[in-house]
Amino acid sequence: MVKATPHADQHQQSRRARERKDIIAGVLFLSPTLLVFSLFVVFPVVFSFFLSFHKWNMFSAEQAFVGFDNYAAILVNPEFWSVLSNTALYTLGTVPLNMVIALAAAYVLNKKIIGRRILRTAFFLPVVMSPVAAAVIWRWVYEPNFGLLNYGLSVFGIPSVNWLNDPTAAMFALILMGVWKSFGVNLVLFSAGLQGIPEQYYEAAQIDGAGKVRQFWNITLPLLSPTTFFILVMSIISSFQVFDTVYVLTSGGPLGSTKVLVFYLYENAFKYFEMGYASAVAYLLFAIVFVLTLVQVKYLRGSVHYG
Amino acid sequence: MNIPPLSAHTCSLRIARNLHLLLITTLITGMSILLPACGGKEEDRSGKVEITFWHSLVSSTVPALQDLIKKFEEEHPGITVKAQYVPTGDALIQKLVTAVHSNTAPDVSWIHANFMQDLIEADAIYTMEEFIRGPDSLPQADLQDIYPALMEQAKWRGVLYSMPMEATALGLLCNRELFRNAGLDPDQPPRDWNELRAMARKLTLDKNGDGKFEQMGLFIPIFPYSGPYGDWMVWQWYPFLFQAGGNVITLDQSRVLFDSPEAITALTLWKEIYNDLNLSSFTIDYEVAFASKTLAMAIDGPWNIPRWRKMKNLDWTVAPLPAGPARNATVAGGEYLSIFKQSRHPKETWMFVKWMLRPDVQAFWSMRSGYLPVRHAVRSVKEYNDYLETDPPLRAYVESMEFAVAPRPIDYHSLRISRHLAEALEQATLGRKDPATVLRRAAAESNRLLESVVRK
Repeated sequence: MVKATPHADQHQQSRRARERKDIIAGVLFLSPTLLVFSLFVVFPVVFSFFLSFHKWNMFSAEQAFVGFDNYAAILVNPEFWSVLSNTALYTLGTVPLNMVIALAAAYVLNKKIIGRRILRTAFFLPVVMSPVAAAVIWRWVYEPNFGLLNYGLSVFGIPSVNWLNDPTAAMFALILMGVWKSFGVNLVLFSAGLQGIPEQYYEAAQIDGAGKVRQFWNITLPLLSPTTFFILVMSIISSFQVFDTVYVLTSGGPLGSTKVLVFYLYENAFKYFEMGYASAVAYLLFAIVFVLTLVQVKYLRGSVHYG
Repeated sequence: MNIPPLSAHTCSLRIARNLHLLLITTLITGMSILLPACGGKEEDRSGKVEITFWHSLVSSTVPALQDLIKKFEEEHPGITVKAQYVPTGDALIQKLVTAVHSNTAPDVSWIHANFMQDLIEADAIYTMEEFIRGPDSLPQADLQDIYPALMEQAKWRGVLYSMPMEATALGLLCNRELFRNAGLDPDQPPRDWNELRAMARKLTLDKNGDGKFEQMGLFIPIFPYSGPYGDWMVWQWYPFLFQAGGNVITLDQSRVLFDSPEAITALTLWKEIYNDLNLSSFTIDYEVAFASKTLAMAIDGPWNIPRWRKMKNLDWTVAPLPAGPARNATVAGGEYLSIFKQSRHPKETWMFVKWMLRPDVQAFWSMRSGYLPVRHAVRSVKEYNDYLETDPPLRAYVESMEFAVAPRPIDYHSLRISRHLAEALEQATLGRKDPATVLRRAAAESNRLLESVVRK
């Protein structure tokens, strides 16, 4: 054991006290946020996990323990599987379209073109718009008799479609609005990624005689891959969680063709008040998204280049 | 060398003191965040009793409600009524349930009959017997004067939990101008299913010759079964079920009846008109279509009277629904008032509920809002009868009440059963499935739910 001199000991002690004070002050400053966070985030997360093993209708005082019954009931319910496949379809439709459009727009806006700031703002506007207000506007765009979309199609002689009342068209309508609503975020992320690519690479490629297309494939895309990977992971997560636009635009219809996982969860929780069942759906959703993300990290990490 | 005991003690003391400080700060911060959210109801300084009243009446009737509350407050100077509007019925029941849990329930709420089960299970509302037999009692004569169909719906498993505030019946909304344009007499609306089908066809027009109909003769209300209008679709189908001679459920509530031949007849009518008019390519916003004169006929309720009246360029009226193969019928519904056990003024709240049933108040409310009276005696209020002469749409609804049928109450799993039926309606029409097949499946699913209750 090291024997410290009384002087050093005293010094060390006062330093420790200072550190403690700092920690306490830090915790104090954090406490309002921590409180709100634990009350409105941590507690519901833990409580819904607890609920997923119980049967509870929100009114009765007690929650009856049912073990894995809720999970089993979900997995044997054909409706769950059709809802899951609707969600997968939505994801398959939204994510690639979203990323391609966002990248194309970011690429064009990265050049010094006139009005790029205005365009960037315009593209980002839907992101900050209230989803319910946006969906109400889109209801009118898709209106079969007076709607803007059908009018536009009629100019080219394309017959009108009842977008929201046709089981195949409705999912397409939802995807289109989903892309419009969210590609602004990815546009900003891609823009940041593009600006992070050093100009010298392009100069060197130009000297070597590489064309624009070649430069895009061999410089831009590989160097953008960390951004692309991040966007892919986040977009898949958020499209699995789509709810508000579905709720306002189609309410899961027609014929249940746009009923997605979170809508199904909402229906069970707040229409039939099956809180246990709905919580189990939430945890299944979590498991699905978690596994999907793990798979992406495992298999796509290798093709990401960090500068 | 060990740390001197004294020093360690001071140190832990300081931490303890600081921990106290931390706890207190956290508590205070927490309280300041939470408190404003659950502020209690306070007595008015002037000693007036304030009762809170939640409702999701159609927004166009809200001005009428303000008049009604003013009338009540003038007659009861000691009481003020604070009305709070919640935009949809679905949102209202969610809000009520949450409020009951956080001890912030209103004194009285306007509810749909199918909300009662949830509120009763939460032990949130009084039975009406407690007031009817209480000191401020309601005479039997008054009770018996209320339409029996409405009273049946106000009960849950035989016990009365609410009182009707207003009645509704469905009628046929017609655009008179479009009738005239098609060479039809607007004063001769369809009297039976055949006439309904023929007129609907005649009023459906392809104006520009593109093979699509720009004007629709009749709106068959098909909405997404999973959406907020699923129950409304089912409600609008009930009159046709009754007209065909069917009903929803057996009297003992052991089995649903929508796989009956009558039900199949009713759904087949819907399916045929739906396909005949190619309604799947028409908008489902029928109110917008009617307002823009692209729709000639729709099934509608009295709550929309103020809405249509505001549209001065619209020449419209309401006719009783046409008769079916078995009988003349429409569906009667009520909207109810329930008193919450958390109310601090149950006596005053009951005064409001009881006042609402007075014939002259019912007449006043009906004339202002378009809703129908809940009791026969209103028809002998002279002012009301004079008024009906000047208001043909309201008169059509009031007269429809004479042959209106209330669907038998479903006390167990009513929401899920309604949803199975809604799914069948959507599948038969938009999904082009066979009505008998989808109705049988819906009935089988519903009966399975009912059996699970009996077994319990």
